[in-house]
Amino acid sequence: MKKYFALLLTMLFLGCSGGSDKPDPKPTDEGKDRSVMLKALAENVIVPSYDQFKTKFDLMTAKSKAFTAKPDAQTLAEFRAAWAEAYVAWERVELFDFGPGEKQAIRNFFNIYPASEAGIAANIADPASNLEVPASYPTQGFPALDYLVNGLGANDTAILAQYTTDKDAAKKLAYITRVVTRMESLLGKVIGDWKGEYLNTFISKTGLDIGSSTSLMVNATVLHYERYIRSGKFGIPSGAMANGIPAAEKVEAFYKKDISKALAQTAHKAYVDFFNGRHAITAEAGPGLKTYLDALGAKDSSTGKLLSETINTQFQAATARLDALKPNLYEEVKTNNQVMKDTYNEMQKAVRMLKVDMSSAMSITITYTDNDGD
Amino acid sequence: MRAYLQKYTSAAPLAVFRAIFGLMLLISTVRFVALGWVRELYISPQFFFSFYGLGFVKPLGEWTYLLFALCGVSALLLAIGWYYRLASVALFLSFTYIELMDKSTYLNHYYFVSLICFMLIFLPAHTMFSVDARHNEAARAGEIPAWCIDCIRVLVCMLYFYAGIAKLNSDWLFEALPLKIWLPAKNDTPLIGGLFNHRETAYIFSWIGCIYDLSIGFLLWNRRTRPFAYLSVVVFHLLTSLLFPIGMFPYIMIVTALIFFPAAFHQKLISYAGGLLRLPTIAKKPAGRYRFPALMQPAVQAVFVVFFVFQIFFPFRYLLYPDELFWTEEGYRFSWRVMLMEKAGYTQFTVTDANGKQQTVNNNDFLTRLQEKMMSTQPDMILQYAHMLRDYYAARGFVRPHVYVDSYVALNGRTGKPLIAPDVDLAQQCDSFQHKSWITPSNNEIKGL
Repeated sequence: MKKYFALLLTMLFLGCSGGSDKPDPKPTDEGKDRSVMLKALAENVIVPSYDQFKTKFDLMTAKSKAFTAKPDAQTLAEFRAAWAEAYVAWERVELFDFGPGEKQAIRNFFNIYPASEAGIAANIADPASNLEVPASYPTQGFPALDYLVNGLGANDTAILAQYTTDKDAAKKLAYITRVVTRMESLLGKVIGDWKGEYLNTFISKTGLDIGSSTSLMVNATVLHYERYIRSGKFGIPSGAMANGIPAAEKVEAFYKKDISKALAQTAHKAYVDFFNGRHAITAEAGPGLKTYLDALGAKDSSTGKLLSETINTQFQAATARLDALKPNLYEEVKTNNQVMKDTYNEMQKAVRMLKVDMSSAMSITITYTDNDGD
Repeated sequence: MRAYLQKYTSAAPLAVFRAIFGLMLLISTVRFVALGWVRELYISPQFFFSFYGLGFVKPLGEWTYLLFALCGVSALLLAIGWYYRLASVALFLSFTYIELMDKSTYLNHYYFVSLICFMLIFLPAHTMFSVDARHNEAARAGEIPAWCIDCIRVLVCMLYFYAGIAKLNSDWLFEALPLKIWLPAKNDTPLIGGLFNHRETAYIFSWIGCIYDLSIGFLLWNRRTRPFAYLSVVVFHLLTSLLFPIGMFPYIMIVTALIFFPAAFHQKLISYAGGLLRLPTIAKKPAGRYRFPALMQPAVQAVFVVFFVFQIFFPFRYLLYPDELFWTEEGYRFSWRVMLMEKAGYTQFTVTDANGKQQTVNNNDFLTRLQEKMMSTQPDMILQYAHMLRDYYAARGFVRPHVYVDSYVALNGRTGKPLIAPDVDLAQQCDSFQHKSWITPSNNEIKGL
């Protein structure tokens, strides 16, 4: 009986004295401080990644203007090259589909593929068409530009003719401008939010319940890995996801084709770097999901191996599959599809670890209804 | 025993309990509706996980709101003690129906509420401090059989004690799991947050929680320890409500524990509240004893004996199943197992047929996130969902479809692994109370009760 109250008193005492524990935080406490992690990720990874993308994007905008002002072989080539570079840079920010990115639904407007040729044609014909509804996703963004600069004709001469001698040439040029302007405006809003009010909101919402930053960020980025890297870039084109029927035309950058692997590699590396908290500019590892998991002591109870190591090992296995692919994933699906499926399978293993082992170790909440832990 | 059954005591504790309990349920129901959960949990979803053998208990579409209205109105009637019998029956039926509509929303405290409501149907909780007692002289009584109050106390004690027994396992006591995982998630709590970064805190909380659950019933019952015990009930439940999203449960338990206080305390409450409500003295402190109708008394007592025998044994049914309870969850529900596991799962279903059709299922096309989360870790729900998929695809051109699941489940921080044998065609398996042989063996023994 006395013991009971002694324990109870201890608990109360501990409860009251909690505040005084703070002066000398152990290193592990530091690692468990989510505001430190959130601040580092926002300032070292997310915002500079958007800045890097913005630089490439602005270059593409300039080249698109040069092209629409004077469509010729040289401006087309330069626009294309700038488009490809911007597209690759986009893969480093697409995963940040939470907060401002999610609010603007920027991914949906930037990179839903395959592009809808019919939809694009309709939009060219009707300059007042609505580009803000879900049906319009595949008619804009990088995939639409891919079609417009790489897919509108069988060769460069034919493509250029579409913008010079074709009776609707002016309308097509206008549509390029319309697509680029819309992207520019959305990106401006997202970056503006990150550099404004949202940064503080992001860092201060340190909880793990639904709606708090860590929870939003982990759920969104894991979903990104699962649905937009694993499925979108490999599972769907290879047919590993549905019916086993390959759909080569569903690869990313279908019209350009030979950058599809580079896009996937960049997206995958961006995720791995994000996991490891790598600085966007210096590439130095810093506070992030890895350090947080390590601070929590998340490890396999039978082998003692750190969960973050297990995950990184799996990332390496997926990267190895990915690196071995040919630059043109369309070609791979057509001629050597098994390697696409192998890559998918290797990523699938990583998905499970992220969705189950990592989320569970972090105690990430996905629902907000009452529960009693069973 | 006979002497005990004939012992009479003040009706005040039960009357106060009735009023507060009814009020709490009214608040719960209003809160549930106000948060939009009726639509979210019971109207919007396309599929519901009914309980085995109770497939007919399903949400009623838009009429589900009426069900909640019925529940809320009966709770109110119970609280004020108006048409008490009718209200208690209606409350028990409507609340229990709601509880059984979808497994994914199963909570032990809903089960507790259902059991209390069931007992209230038979108990004379309306003999004072009620509209019935005010209007109807025959319903008035100042004393009721002592067992009518004790049975509620016993159920409360059982709830805590069984919850304590469930904590007597190696994960809880020696690994401080799952608290070791859950507490750091709350390290941003003002003032005490820093504590949760320390491993020791998880151990202290685990052991205190276990000792608390095992002993609190007895300490509440004992007159000398009662005030301290009640204080610890308040502290304990407020702490859990701060740390975990367990809704109304802590508050319901805090007020329920008042039933252990002596009659004088409750009589004071009634006099005070009755004064505010301008109740006549006759309703605040009636004379006379409540007598069950002659033939009813043994019948009611028999019901309670069966009820408690069931309550004693039912939580142990898991012993009839092989393998690890936390892994298979066979015999897990309705057993006062609360906050025992951090379990997360991932399931990807593939439907195939003899003609070579194949479809990988996106669970979000059929289930809400809550349903998917619950289904992914619970074998019986995986099977129900697989059967739903079988029927769905059979209706869409698949010939006698096969359903396979690629599952990956992590329990209390152990690295995840398949929960279900990936090569078993779930379309062919039947649900039953038998052990599900297609659950992958856990290979991790969690020692204990």
